[in-house]
Amino acid sequence: MSQPLTEESGTRPLHRLSPGEGGLILTINAAPPIVRRLMELGLVPGTRVEMIRCAPLGDPMEVAIQGVHLSLRRSEASLIHVTPT
Amino acid sequence: MSRPPEVAPSTPSLSLHAEWKSDRRVRTRRIAILGNPNAGKSTLFNRLTGLRQKVGNYPGVTVEKKTGVCDLPSGVPAELIDLPGSYSLQPASPDERIVRDILLGLQPDTPPPDLIIFVVDATHLERHLNLALQITELGRPVVLALNMMDSARAAELDIDVESLQRGLGVPVVPISAARGEGLGSLRRIMEREVEPSTLHFREWPPFLQRVLDRLAARLPRHAAYPDRARRDIAFALLLDDGEDDTLVRAAPPELLDDAAAEARNLDKTHPGWRHQDVAVRFETIREILSRALLTPGDHHHRGRDTLDRILTHRVFGPAIFLILMGAVFQSVFAWALPLMDLIDVGVGAAGRLIEASIPPGALRSLLVDGVIAGVGTTITFVPQIAILFFFLSMLEDTGYMARAAFIMDRLMGHIGLSGRSFIPLLSSFACAIPGIMATRTIDNRRDRITTMIVAPFMSCSARLPVYALLIGAFIPNRWIGFLTLPGLTLISMYSLGIAAAIVVAFVLKRTVLAGPTPLYIMELPPYRVPSWRSVLQTVYERSWLFVRNAGTVILAITILLWFFASYPKNGPEVRALSAERAEAVTNGSTAQIELLDRRISASALEHSTAGKVGRFLEPVIAPLGFDWRIGIALVTSFAAREVMVSTMATMFNLSDAREDVVPLRTSLREAIDPETGRRAYSTLTGISLMVFFVLACQCMSTVAVVRRETNSWRWPIFMLVLMNVMAWLASFAIYQGGRWLGFGT
Repeated sequence: MSQPLTEESGTRPLHRLSPGEGGLILTINAAPPIVRRLMELGLVPGTRVEMIRCAPLGDPMEVAIQGVHLSLRRSEASLIHVTPT
Repeated sequence: MSRPPEVAPSTPSLSLHAEWKSDRRVRTRRIAILGNPNAGKSTLFNRLTGLRQKVGNYPGVTVEKKTGVCDLPSGVPAELIDLPGSYSLQPASPDERIVRDILLGLQPDTPPPDLIIFVVDATHLERHLNLALQITELGRPVVLALNMMDSARAAELDIDVESLQRGLGVPVVPISAARGEGLGSLRRIMEREVEPSTLHFREWPPFLQRVLDRLAARLPRHAAYPDRARRDIAFALLLDDGEDDTLVRAAPPELLDDAAAEARNLDKTHPGWRHQDVAVRFETIREILSRALLTPGDHHHRGRDTLDRILTHRVFGPAIFLILMGAVFQSVFAWALPLMDLIDVGVGAAGRLIEASIPPGALRSLLVDGVIAGVGTTITFVPQIAILFFFLSMLEDTGYMARAAFIMDRLMGHIGLSGRSFIPLLSSFACAIPGIMATRTIDNRRDRITTMIVAPFMSCSARLPVYALLIGAFIPNRWIGFLTLPGLTLISMYSLGIAAAIVVAFVLKRTVLAGPTPLYIMELPPYRVPSWRSVLQTVYERSWLFVRNAGTVILAITILLWFFASYPKNGPEVRALSAERAEAVTNGSTAQIELLDRRISASALEHSTAGKVGRFLEPVIAPLGFDWRIGIALVTSFAAREVMVSTMATMFNLSDAREDVVPLRTSLREAIDPETGRRAYSTLTGISLMVFFVLACQCMSTVAVVRRETNSWRWPIFMLVLMNVMAWLASFAIYQGGRWLGFGT
């Protein structure tokens, strides 16, 4: 679940998506407790996540998953790799 | 699996509650309300219990314990407990740890409930059912309260309740807690014996189950532990992520070592074992929902999109935020004033009533200056607390609070905190008491304590009279550019407090309160119309809690301070002055008598314990430019900072300075040091004293409220020492540095 992925496979870290873009979560590259937590919050691989907007100061960002809107810091979003759709 | 004979619990936190199992029939039913944050749990709890609530703390932690009484349809009361909002049974915070411990039967003071009402937001079923499923897996009786049905209808979400019930294997009751819909059915179910779901036993993959069974077999044994809970405990030990966990602490160390070795082994043989169950659970949920959700519904609340586009807009977002905060701040500041004045009048009247009915003496003095003053101090804070919490719970319930944190997060992130810390700190400019109470919205414990400790650095309204007095006495009224020197001084004092807060927060988060960076992920809930009932209930609850808990400490300290300022009584100096006064009564003028009266008060204070402490402090505070008179004022102002003004007035033989501080300013400026015959206080003294007031923790109410919020004396004492050491060092640097540079003579 946490093998690093190369950019050429078309995946991007979540914080690199522009508002309105979305994708399927592929992997989460983080320590096991963090991976587990993010999954419990709904960020399960295979689920579609959409980037909504950035906060006025550029960080954190708002994403939507399973109809829930979450605020997460860019550093946290960078752990999540998605396949843009 | 055969069970070995029961043995006594080897560790207290693993002790079991067998005794209540046996008397299930006679005692009241214990029902827990549980759910994700933003599920509407507290609204439901408030609806069911009304004002019959009790708020306390779980022993040893900062987590609040809310219980209440609810009448069931047959008239029998049930005990309700509002468990903290959680996302998972694998805890990531002290709040979630408490929930897990209670449900597994590991919390010593709180037995597992007879029934769990699991509250879900009907519009976010997929997410909320994750924890619901984990709870049903525990094999405990659960009722699913399908909340916010009104919103679900508005979003044209069609939920097949029957199908959901079949899918989960537990009763499902559609409700709207905010509107009070469906509560009758819920109350009826609360009375029934609900069977645990048989559909969702927790199934571990065989490789994991073998490991769990090995570990579970070595756990201390207990009769009432279902085998399933033992595996859950073993799983928690296996997942141990180094965070401070009660479960891990209670386990035998050699068991923990073995668990760590097993975990490392599993990482090699079965990567992904740590979160496999989460993925499986969401799979199950999707399957259940594919049958129960008849229409997909409109996830995009149209109103939300528009509102968010404005409220989190690059320019309008922060602008609206600042305007809103300004309005809240101004209201706390301004609306509370007339109410506080009214309380002052009431306290004064109560004092006079006692003075009229009790002859002068120690008892009267104790009642008026100790008890009534202490009660008065406590209730003076209530208007500010009530008004702040009125706005805070409105902002929270509408969903705006999360946006405010979203906007401010980047800024607060620089000092190691999150957006959630901003509003408590801003509120502290009015008064640190409600500010510290407002930190309860910060989930991370370390962030919350850091915020509490730096909140009193914000210059509160009680410091204003002190600044005003000292600026008036020592700062010449000159123009510097477009500002006056007094104005500039005032701004500097406020800025100094902010700077101190930033530095202290920064340092604390890297030292005493350092820890792994938590996830700052937060839900941005849909906007909702707040329920007045719930808002007013929060206001009432917070105000009453402050009066009851912090008020007790404040009253005790006020009585202690009264004693210090009054005893020992009638020393030779006071007796001599009293004799002089008796003489003046027969052949002196009224002015003479009044002057003697003031000199008696001054002398009595000077020779009291407080006066002695002030004198005793002199060598400590002399390097800051303070004499013993200021020392006494520092002691008495622990009751409340503004008391410094009236103490100084007493020391300078002035009548009550509250109406008119002009004579006091002059007295301070012209005060003579009796030993040197030179002016006692210079401008440098004034600045040093102001800086001392910015930084020092001179407010017993703050200490009392931190003690109440952290549920221990550790942090309030830490704060007290830290702030006062900082104040001393800063004043020392300013006074000695200023003298060295040639100022202040």
